Amino acid sequence: MESNRSFLVQLQILTKRMVLRVVRRPLAELPNLIISAFFLFVYDGALGGVFGGAASGTPFDFAKGNFINFILPVSIVSASLSGAASGIYLVEDIESGVFKRYQSMPISRWAIILAPMNVGAFRVLLQSGLILFIGIIIGADPAVGSIGFLIVLSIAFIWGMGFAGYSVAAGVKSGSSQGAQAATFLFFPAIFLAPTFVPREALKGWLETAAAYNPTTYVIEAMRAVMVDGWELDVLFRGYLSAGLFAALTLTLAVISARKATEKA
Amino acid sequence: MLAVDVKNIKKTFISKQDIVEAVKDVSFQVKQGEIFGLLGPNGAGKSTTILMLTTLLSITEGSASVLGIDVASKDKEVREKIGVALQDTGLDNLLTGKELFFTTCRLWGYSKKDSEVRTGELLELVGLTEAAERRVKTYSGGMKRRLDLGLSLVHSPEILFLDEPTTGLDPGSRRVLWDEIKRLRDNGVTIILTTQYLEEADELADRIAIIDEGLVVAEGTADELKASIGGDVITFAFDNYDDLENAKNILKNTVQEKNELRITVEDGASKIPVYLKDLSSNGVEVSSVSASKPTLDDVFLEVTGYRLEGSEDIKKSEEKSKR
Repeated sequence: MESNRSFLVQLQILTKRMVLRVVRRPLAELPNLIISAFFLFVYDGALGGVFGGAASGTPFDFAKGNFINFILPVSIVSASLSGAASGIYLVEDIESGVFKRYQSMPISRWAIILAPMNVGAFRVLLQSGLILFIGIIIGADPAVGSIGFLIVLSIAFIWGMGFAGYSVAAGVKSGSSQGAQAATFLFFPAIFLAPTFVPREALKGWLETAAAYNPTTYVIEAMRAVMVDGWELDVLFRGYLSAGLFAALTLTLAVISARKATEKA
Repeated sequence: MLAVDVKNIKKTFISKQDIVEAVKDVSFQVKQGEIFGLLGPNGAGKSTTILMLTTLLSITEGSASVLGIDVASKDKEVREKIGVALQDTGLDNLLTGKELFFTTCRLWGYSKKDSEVRTGELLELVGLTEAAERRVKTYSGGMKRRLDLGLSLVHSPEILFLDEPTTGLDPGSRRVLWDEIKRLRDNGVTIILTTQYLEEADELADRIAIIDEGLVVAEGTADELKASIGGDVITFAFDNYDDLENAKNILKNTVQEKNELRITVEDGASKIPVYLKDLSSNGVEVSSVSASKPTLDDVFLEVTGYRLEGSEDIKKSEEKSKR
């Protein structure tokens, strides 16, 4: 018997196995989704009354009458952090010895690494999609029309894969699930050192400087552009560029770590 | 053709703090269809040797081939031919036994239909048909080892590497696994196993290499190894420390272990009265004396200078289970 399957078939089999693992632990999927939905409802409840329709005609009308449109990108960015699960899935396999079992078989090392990333990508799309869906139900209405949802989802996907890459790199490097979970520590600076509640122009002092260096700022601004302001191509470009550069950087780190992990010592 | 041919392999781990020679110089040959046992304590270099032969670790120096295929340069080809159940290869606890077999069959290239058939065969083979739909996390230690063994057999490998296959198992589960390993050998599978249990090596292995501190210190069949130290082993036990010290000076070439002295001689039974007379005339009191044929335990003590721990545990658990 010879292992004659193509890389793609091996990847499909390993991805399916990983999906089974995720399905068997549904509660592990909930916290990030609940936190993201919580942001949407709580921030809308707390700030929507001030910065929503009531702000119309005042200098604080940055949501242009619909605060859901303004705050939804924050929840989407939060949901996209679910991509960080990729590293945790992979490190669980390393810790349990399943990774070594697959290494002892004549199958592609890259299929072993990419399968959890596939599931991480699916998780990003699913969680971001669900938050978008909740947003639509409670009144999100992109300034550029329905295509705005697709744009938001695509930026979230690239951003989420950046977190997937980071978690894989951190997890493989540290060899522990705690290392992979460290990706979640990025959550607070990513979200709160950014124009989360008000536009960047309204930030002051050190926070304004920090936000300028935080790629999350440009991701949120790009999503807000299509949700609130309409076609602002330069803002959109900066958003895709930030997300893309972040993903490229972390995925490169992930590839380097994974290559070291699969090399013989 | 030899199943496995290992020539002077070495493995050195270099880190910032340390240089560790895990395997200093190991050579052996394994014929097709035999069970070859690598016997040694923890840290002797057994598992590192197996990791090198299964292509999971690079070889620092020396060469090794599996069925004539060079392990270092043709690792993928080697992996096609071997089955591997290592101490630290894991099982996916969230999947069922059936799902694990099916996934592994698919990865080995079986079609979905063939994977279902092969899964059924293997579940039957390792006695897990009834537990097939249960998640692996509910399996006992013995069931997990049988599952592990079954997974290494999916592609009907010609050579099977088993790293301490029965460590931590109860006597009943150990016996089941021993029988299964013998049955595989009888069906033509070559098996290389590591163990730190003398009884396991004696019971299973057609030939044994004793590894200590990264070196092969003895090799042969169990009988050859036992015969190599020659004659019988006479064991003198003493209640008094002074008696033991005095006896050491009177009896030459003894090996001490706790309150006992052992001496290996030809025709031990006839020599006991002579030794006892010598000891008695020098005022040494012996609490007990016995003569026996050498065991692997004696061989291990002879070639390494110390006893292999762990074998006592296996004896005790066997006795406990008989009671």
